[in-house]
Amino acid sequence: MVYTLAREGTTQWLDKLLEAGEVIAPVRGPCGDVIFSALRSPTQVVWDFENPLPAPKQYVLPQTDPLVKIKLNGQRHEVEPLYDDAPRTLFNVRSCDVKGIAFLTRMHEAEPADASYLRRARNLTIISLACTTPCPAGFCTCTDSGPFLSAGYDVQLTDLGGTFLVEVGSEKGEAAIAKAPDLFRRASEDAVTQRKGLEAVAKTRFGPETCHFGSAMRRVSTGRVQDALWEKMGEWCLECGGCNMVCPTCYCFSVKDLRQNGTWVRCRMWDSCQYTAFTLEASGHNPRANRKERIKRRFFHKVSAQYYTRDSTVGCVGCGRCVKTCLGSTHMPAVVAAIRKGKWHE
Amino acid sequence: MVPVPTACPFCACGCGFYLLANQGGLVGVAPSETHPVSLGRLCARGWSAHEAPLWGNRLRQPLVNRNGKLESASWVETLDHVAGRLKEIIDAGKPVGVLGSARATNEENYLAGKLARAGLQTNNLDFSYQSICGPLFTGLEEVGGEATAAISLNDIESSQTILLIEGDLATTHSRAASAVMAAVEKGAHLITIGYTRTQMSRLASLLLPTTPGKEGEVVDGLLASVLNLGLEDRAAVDARCEGYDALRRNLEGVEITAEMRQAAEWIARATRATFLMPPLSGERNPSRRVAAALATLAAITGHLGRPGSGLLPLLARSNVRGACDMGVAPDRLPGYRPLDDQEAQQRLQDLWGKKLPSTPGLDAEGMLQSVSALIVLADDPPSDLPMGHRAMAALEKIEYLVTLDAFLTPTALTADVVLPIASFAETEGTVTSMEGRVQRLHAAVDPPGEARPGWQVLADLCARFELPTAYHAASDVLSEVGRAVPKYARVGQSEDKWGGIGTAKAPNGGKLRLFVAEAPRQAPAEGTHLLVRDGTFDWGRDPLVSFSPTLCRDYQSQRKLFPNGFVEMCKQDADGVGAHPGRPVKLTSVHGNAVVPLRVRPDLQPGVVFVPYAFRDYLVNVLGTESVTAVKVEQA
Repeated sequence: MVYTLAREGTTQWLDKLLEAGEVIAPVRGPCGDVIFSALRSPTQVVWDFENPLPAPKQYVLPQTDPLVKIKLNGQRHEVEPLYDDAPRTLFNVRSCDVKGIAFLTRMHEAEPADASYLRRARNLTIISLACTTPCPAGFCTCTDSGPFLSAGYDVQLTDLGGTFLVEVGSEKGEAAIAKAPDLFRRASEDAVTQRKGLEAVAKTRFGPETCHFGSAMRRVSTGRVQDALWEKMGEWCLECGGCNMVCPTCYCFSVKDLRQNGTWVRCRMWDSCQYTAFTLEASGHNPRANRKERIKRRFFHKVSAQYYTRDSTVGCVGCGRCVKTCLGSTHMPAVVAAIRKGKWHE
Repeated sequence: MVPVPTACPFCACGCGFYLLANQGGLVGVAPSETHPVSLGRLCARGWSAHEAPLWGNRLRQPLVNRNGKLESASWVETLDHVAGRLKEIIDAGKPVGVLGSARATNEENYLAGKLARAGLQTNNLDFSYQSICGPLFTGLEEVGGEATAAISLNDIESSQTILLIEGDLATTHSRAASAVMAAVEKGAHLITIGYTRTQMSRLASLLLPTTPGKEGEVVDGLLASVLNLGLEDRAAVDARCEGYDALRRNLEGVEITAEMRQAAEWIARATRATFLMPPLSGERNPSRRVAAALATLAAITGHLGRPGSGLLPLLARSNVRGACDMGVAPDRLPGYRPLDDQEAQQRLQDLWGKKLPSTPGLDAEGMLQSVSALIVLADDPPSDLPMGHRAMAALEKIEYLVTLDAFLTPTALTADVVLPIASFAETEGTVTSMEGRVQRLHAAVDPPGEARPGWQVLADLCARFELPTAYHAASDVLSEVGRAVPKYARVGQSEDKWGGIGTAKAPNGGKLRLFVAEAPRQAPAEGTHLLVRDGTFDWGRDPLVSFSPTLCRDYQSQRKLFPNGFVEMCKQDADGVGAHPGRPVKLTSVHGNAVVPLRVRPDLQPGVVFVPYAFRDYLVNVLGTESVTAVKVEQA
């Protein structure tokens, strides 16, 4: 169904959503950054923003994720799974991040399914805000993940000026609308046409970043990237792991037990395939001891045909966050271009 | 999830980020695009900054050693006990001292200094890293006076020439390395001086090779090249530099290579140039001499005082510069003023209401060896001091050892009294980056158990020595700092959203004293190789790394695989002495010998044997008190 919602109506709708659970939305922080945070009041929501650097994946796959509580009871260890079931709404997320969460969910649904992740994801309602102005570092048209979505959202909002066009894409979306049914009107033909027009214009307003995945995928998958090129690119990586941390589709982790008041809590923590120790074995052997091997692994995973066949998408949603956060210069568009051209910084 | 803005606690680049707190616990880190230094970027350490406070072995309640066992006690009882014992020891005429820290805030370091100088009436005040960075600061002062760094990491990105004395910038200061990379990408000439083929040197336009401890000779060569080719900035030299003729005379006969001439041209012709220097290893700490020579090079090419150009000392720990600014040194007052600076002395006496001791105190090593009571604020001498495990033996002999720390460090383990304080994630305060930017820390969560912010604990101790301590918040301490150190007076008034403010003084208009000290005469080396203690800091022993599950892995693995340490050589050298990787080699110097496993490292220069700072203890017989020494290497 497609509705319209008056701009003034968003406050009442958000009030209703807040009654039902936590609402995570872009909020301007104390130092001026816009960050996805738990909303205290509808007035905090930012409507005009460039996609925040920390991805909202934090709310399905937290950086520190408690999985199991372990207690010693006499001689026995008691294990209690920990779940985060809280109903949560992600409000005003961008199209690329909706695709990112869909990617993560697909991966965590695959057998053996990840119960901890899925509880969070299934209790999450995603209300996205289509991008009428693409962000400067974004290249989501190259990854089919924006600036507007045709599916995958629970609700997609498009800012038409005084009103929002509200597209509902799932039962969870219907339920979100049903919390304040009086606010929503059936959308007119004009409103739908206006949305289409905005999408067409948005597609022409992208910045300089492009990412030709097709040819890069062919080269990566057929082993046609010279080792010397990986080595050269590796020299421009400072192993910060930032690309992994901000990436909406990265999910690699390590596990560690946290001692807390006489119990242990087993936590999953974000990890980076660019860290030497990520694949370090107890013997001291490291199958990916050099930077060139690690960077090769990352881009093989992100752009090889093997994963494309399985997921029917590259492991990138074109959000451009790695462009912003890369401490060196080995972000996605730069590396894909180098693979395609067989040259780096020449 | 609540984002709390704070300053990065690791190296001294001065990055900032948000700590993420959820239900009273730390859960992560988020980068900030509005932070003027980080600009949305963090290094691996920054990304894991929340881990150590959460996962670390935290101190939760005051502990007092009773009959060989640390037992918990109340705060009041413990602080009374500490003050009482210190007074007894002082009354008995025995020496006492205080160690501040490069990982404590400015407020904590300032109060540690106040406690030592006004409370305990001693200049026995230092921090472990001071002996390493102090000579570098002194060298810079000799040329530019008070003015040291007047360049920011962002300035580096638009430099046309960068001269880097290379330790391993990519790992020691990733944010600075990032700025250098950005400049190189834009076409800047990077010149590295060093003896290893590090990541940065592989990106360089020119590598000026040297041997350990001889970096100064290359800088002398660059200076001589500038003078010989007539490349000096005449206007800058005439207007502001003193000692030009003496400099010319001192540099006569200095060896110049074609590469040096090329480098000199790039430096002199650049509109904007950056000079980067870490503290160095070498006989009698060559940092002072090399820093002065490097500053002289920057001065005669007009890059000292020119906007966008300048020299930046690369400091290991987040608040090295702040600890120095707070006067945590045996011969310096707050403001890093000399001990005999009458004006600085008077300011402090007015503020603290006590006459201050005038004789210089003992440095960290000296204190470990001779004081009867020592207060250690968030410092860990066995991990940080070049003397390594000998510091542990010395600590154990101290009659009364008091530690204030957030973490159970080796020092805390041997202490008679442990005072638990908040970690960086749980306290308010400020730190000063290597570029002189003062930034605020904000508490994202409460300290664990009964732990309290360090400034409160130190203020309580100061009060027990009848010192004025009307502080209700860390910002009150900062206001007092502003009265003791005028350049900190503006810190509270920052309009920067991150609460940061620059304190570096550009050497505008002031006279620059060109200066090249005579090269140290070195005894002829009796050996086949040079053994070098590599680096000046071991992150693996720092609590913020050793207690972080993500960051500790490489260090732990290395210690597990090499429980007796190792040395590194290039393959050519290993083959030359018939040594095999993984097998022990015997190293002999004038000081003694040691047998340690060998690792082959491809980027080392022939003739050099490396021992990582982390494994310096295993080579103590060979190195003695030096950091570079000639050795004979043979199969064990």
